[in-house]
Amino acid sequence: MTRRILVPAVPLLLAIIAPFVLSSYAVTMLNYVFINAIVVLGLVLLTGVLGLISFGQAAFVGVGAYATAWMTVTLGLSPWLSLVLCVLVCGAIALSVGAMTLRMGGHYLAIATLAWGISFYYVFGNLRALGGFTGFGNIPAPSLGSWTLAGERSMYALIVLMLVASIWACVNLLDSRVGRAMRSIRYGAALPESFGVNVPRIKLTVFVLAAMLAAASGWLYAHLQGYINPSPFSVTVSIEYLFMAVIGGAAQIAGALLGAGVVTLVRDWLQDLMTALVGQAGNFEVVVFGVLMLIILNRAKSGLWPFLNSMLPKPSRCALPLAGPLPKVKRPSSTGNVLEVRAARKNFGGLVAVNAMSFEIEAGQILGLIGPNGAGKSTMFNLISGLLSLSSGEVVFRGRRIDGMSSAAIAKLGISRTFQHVKIVRSMTVLENVALGAWLRTSTGFVRSALRLDRAAEKAVFADALYQLERVGLGDMHGARSGALALGKQRILEIARALASDPVLLLLDEPAAGLRALEKRALADLLVNLRQQGLAILLVEHDMDFVMEVTDKLVVMNFGEKLASGTPMEVQSNPKVLEAYLGSDE
Amino acid sequence: MDFQIFAFLLQDGITMGAVYVLLAVALVMVFNVTRIIYVPQGEFVSYTALTLATFEAGQRPATVWLLLGAGAVAFVMELLSLRAAGALVARRIAPPAGLYLAIPALLAALSGAGVGADRPLVVKVFLSVCIVVALAPALYRIAFRPIADASALTLLVAAIALHFVLVGLALHMFGPEGLRTPAFAGESFKLGFLTVSPQFLWVVGLSVLLIVCLFIFFGRSLYGKALRASAVSRRGAHLVGISTDFAGSLTLTLAAAIGAVSGVLIGPLTNMKFDSGFLLGLKGFVGAIIGGLAVYPLAAAGAVFVGVLETFASFWASAYKEVIVFTLIVPILIWRSIAQPHVDDEGEAEE
Amino acid sequence: MKFLSLAAAAAIALCGVAAHSQINVGVIYSATGPVAAAGIAEQRTIAILPKTLGGQKVNYVGLDDGGDTTATVKAARKLISEDKIDVLLGPTSSANSIAILSMLAQTETPMISLAGSASIVEPVEGPRKWAFKTPQSETLMASIVVEHMAKSGVKQLGVIAFNDAYGEGWLKEITRLSEQKGIKIVAVERYERSDSSATGQVLKVLATNPDAVFIGAAGTPGVIPQAALVERGFKGKIYQTHGIANDEFLKLGGKAVEGTFVPLAPMLVAEDLPPNHPAKKPSMEFISKFEAIPGAGARSPFAAYLWDAAIILDHAVPAAIKAGKPGTPEFRRALRDSIESVKDVPASNGSYTMSPTNHNGLDERGRVMTQIRDGKWKLVK
Repeated sequence: MTRRILVPAVPLLLAIIAPFVLSSYAVTMLNYVFINAIVVLGLVLLTGVLGLISFGQAAFVGVGAYATAWMTVTLGLSPWLSLVLCVLVCGAIALSVGAMTLRMGGHYLAIATLAWGISFYYVFGNLRALGGFTGFGNIPAPSLGSWTLAGERSMYALIVLMLVASIWACVNLLDSRVGRAMRSIRYGAALPESFGVNVPRIKLTVFVLAAMLAAASGWLYAHLQGYINPSPFSVTVSIEYLFMAVIGGAAQIAGALLGAGVVTLVRDWLQDLMTALVGQAGNFEVVVFGVLMLIILNRAKSGLWPFLNSMLPKPSRCALPLAGPLPKVKRPSSTGNVLEVRAARKNFGGLVAVNAMSFEIEAGQILGLIGPNGAGKSTMFNLISGLLSLSSGEVVFRGRRIDGMSSAAIAKLGISRTFQHVKIVRSMTVLENVALGAWLRTSTGFVRSALRLDRAAEKAVFADALYQLERVGLGDMHGARSGALALGKQRILEIARALASDPVLLLLDEPAAGLRALEKRALADLLVNLRQQGLAILLVEHDMDFVMEVTDKLVVMNFGEKLASGTPMEVQSNPKVLEAYLGSDE
Repeated sequence: MDFQIFAFLLQDGITMGAVYVLLAVALVMVFNVTRIIYVPQGEFVSYTALTLATFEAGQRPATVWLLLGAGAVAFVMELLSLRAAGALVARRIAPPAGLYLAIPALLAALSGAGVGADRPLVVKVFLSVCIVVALAPALYRIAFRPIADASALTLLVAAIALHFVLVGLALHMFGPEGLRTPAFAGESFKLGFLTVSPQFLWVVGLSVLLIVCLFIFFGRSLYGKALRASAVSRRGAHLVGISTDFAGSLTLTLAAAIGAVSGVLIGPLTNMKFDSGFLLGLKGFVGAIIGGLAVYPLAAAGAVFVGVLETFASFWASAYKEVIVFTLIVPILIWRSIAQPHVDDEGEAEE
Repeated sequence: MKFLSLAAAAAIALCGVAAHSQINVGVIYSATGPVAAAGIAEQRTIAILPKTLGGQKVNYVGLDDGGDTTATVKAARKLISEDKIDVLLGPTSSANSIAILSMLAQTETPMISLAGSASIVEPVEGPRKWAFKTPQSETLMASIVVEHMAKSGVKQLGVIAFNDAYGEGWLKEITRLSEQKGIKIVAVERYERSDSSATGQVLKVLATNPDAVFIGAAGTPGVIPQAALVERGFKGKIYQTHGIANDEFLKLGGKAVEGTFVPLAPMLVAEDLPPNHPAKKPSMEFISKFEAIPGAGARSPFAAYLWDAAIILDHAVPAAIKAGKPGTPEFRRALRDSIESVKDVPASNGSYTMSPTNHNGLDERGRVMTQIRDGKWKLVK
């Protein structure tokens, strides 16, 4: 608990006394550090957490700065009004730019942000109305009644206020339902989509958020300096922001402040140092700076904050106040089979992976899908869960066709899955990972999360997650970092996560792989238990003993087609199955 | 615009485009093998041109000292890591000594032969290229080898830091103004009603030759296949005995060679300044992205497109040239990312 | 007892030292970044600036802003509050100079800028009361160019200029003055400082058949369009700005820049100036000092701007010191007033006469028309 208070409190206290003890110049430097930190916060969310590299943040700062300059000087609006407007304008621009470019993956996004980052710079420079390359001056300082915030100390207060508000909002955001979803996107879209997250929507929202933070920073910059020109909004500066994010620790909020501080202050300190060493003869500051940064990256690959963090006392896990359980998900009742696959076919070009597959699963039934390697089991799995689309045929879930639907939509209908290669978010605790599965069961969005109005919903979610963990036998490990779990336990964790969405059909991809005998026993008991509670389970598995014991029905696949189906006993003695899969006497 | 002007613009565009192609190919190659988005690729170009120009001006280029210095640092780092691994034996020390100390020393000794406008151009070109190429393994050892397993983002930022260092040093070594290298091609001649510049023929010809050589190297030679294996799966290549460090070092050296040749090719055509490399590398990068950072022919086509677009945009609306070039890239990128089925990246492992 | 008297003596001596006040002069230059060529020359000049100004000892503090306005603001803030400067010399570029105007007014610190744009000092009101500059503004330079063009019978002019503040400023002036003299501007093209070729732009300009082409560039990038023009067989007159006035330009341009008309600061052709030209003596003195700096190279007009700023200060300080000690607002105010009243001060760029409406101070003697012949600047009579 002490750490939780100290880590934010100490810097905050220092920040408050600073303008009273430090010189004008030092306060100016801090102003710039904090203004940069606000932009880098957005980058932490966008690049550090989501993994989307953006070279365009400086352009957004420029949009904010130019917008407010134009509104306050040419239109004569009050700076406070222009703050709101320029953030909104920037958000709107980010919305349209983002809608276009975010559909691109990884490096395309980077180059696209580079592209319009450069374009913005030249547009600013070429517009006469915005002063061209010579710049735009006479930007008034904001005022509160009769008190004008001119000069670095008065602006300092405003800047610190805005920085603290931004940090608070971002920390809240990461520590919420939305934050969990954000952190899972890094591992590929398949994971978050499997429990109903609208991944493009989240990416776009975070992109707009980062742009709005940049716009606010631009507003501060314009009113602090009173004069702007295009040079601080060039791609080089975007690169510097990225630099600050990575040096500080890209995925951590504290990293934003640390990175902005280190880069800005080291640069300044280096200038003094080099002048003292070399006099007026050379200009090695940039070279030494680059070398220093290389050394830092060498020693602290994930940035400075994780490095420092490892030296601080570990945060203790607080006891969880439990709340009432989440309401069960209301689903329309239906009779008949939970899942029907009718003549499903999938071909990749000329290769037919799945052909004429048909089978059914009823409620309270465990169906095993087995077959030799390459038989098409995983493909079939992915066809049902929506990761792949059928070439022909139908998949019907509770009387409704789901082939052609996205995996997020399918999740919403009540299908949950685990993955063959375990996908858990290593930096989150076990409990948080499970809470991820409950995404669809609450609906607090970005705004309420940022303002920390989600506490009640979060408590209910965590209570449910704890319940699921106890169900699968991991209850006492709820506070552990999920990356520290053994692989077998991670698989069980995935099952708990899948259960957290209160599904009707559970798709399990090799759940017993890597489990020891006792763990398999426990898993088998769990599955039987779930079946008794009315869940339908589709299981892909290689461990024959496990399969024979747990399943009610088996479907055997070979070369993409159904080889046989029936009860375990029937399948075990089927000669075709024996020959193809289980081994014959030859 | 008459046909003459069109032809002239096209020639100019393709000339620059050819250079961008070389840069694009180098960038794609480095990225595929090492996952580094190698921002300082342009510095290989500018360093070579500036080194050559300094030879021409009758001085020993400071690049030689940089080479010696970087080699020494790399060697010391290698010694330290050998010691940490308990492998400080002569057999293990010899190769790094050769690579980081002997070769730079040899080049430094030979560099005297290139100083002066009267020396044969071939000698000067050869020395300039060798010096810059010899720099690459040392740079890799110093900046990237220690963090070779880090995320692509960290590698990118390290590349950016290296870029700052190289540009800062270039300002000190070559001064703030631009230099031009001697032309080796001769005067323009008329081909029918077209004016053809021999430099254009050289640039395009050498670029094509280089691409063919790379194609053969990657397709036929064992080393090339080893590099491709590293690109597909680092761990797999490692398991079959391909040293990923060697692969990374070799790739960067090849990229340096490509960059150096580019520098010699465009040196006579343009003003090379200490900071010219960045923009060249950037445009090559755009071409590389059009190829999805993977497909060489498409990257080449993309790079030529950038060169031609740039030249024509400078004719039509010169004030907005950069805006045009960079915004027109966006629809192409959208098309590319739709055309290429978005392979869901497995994502990066967190610490 | 002995110790006490020793201590007392030391204390008195120290006070004596403190009473012997020195003037702190801040210098901001762009030694890295796009205008590094100019900034480095200025940086080197600090070493040869006079050690006393108006009889007072001087301490120079220099900072590099890398061409970035944010860095300029930080540097200015540092110099003013930490180093307690009394006057600022620099920055190198116009945008950076404009960026700190409000800070100068707020802290009542006079500045003598080393940048060219007239908008730094015009109109002389508000914060600009504290801003002066030594370089000729584009208006002054452009006027001699346009006069020469009119005299030579140029009727149609093509313009190729940098796509930044420098090019913008020149374009504005040339356009305005050409209109007055009845010269029609038939083409306007822009190119980037960092471009490696300007073929498209040159072709476009040539297609309009101008009598003369004006290139608004600085440093060696000015060679690029000119080389392309000459290669395409352009036979008309070519004019460049004084921003190209360095040896590297001449070396790089070679044959292609022979015959170019360039308006220059008188310092660059000091030997050819008539003996009664106010710039002759200060120029010769500057040249001999500057070329003696190891590694500095040939005379640089940018360095000369800094040199002249020091000359002006030398003339302004005596009057200011009467009003207050260095380090006080009274001194700074008086210094500002004193700079504003310098009259007929001979310097390497001509003769400076400042006034409440003119914070540059140069007149027609502040520039000369030259032509590049045999790889050298030659005065055009």
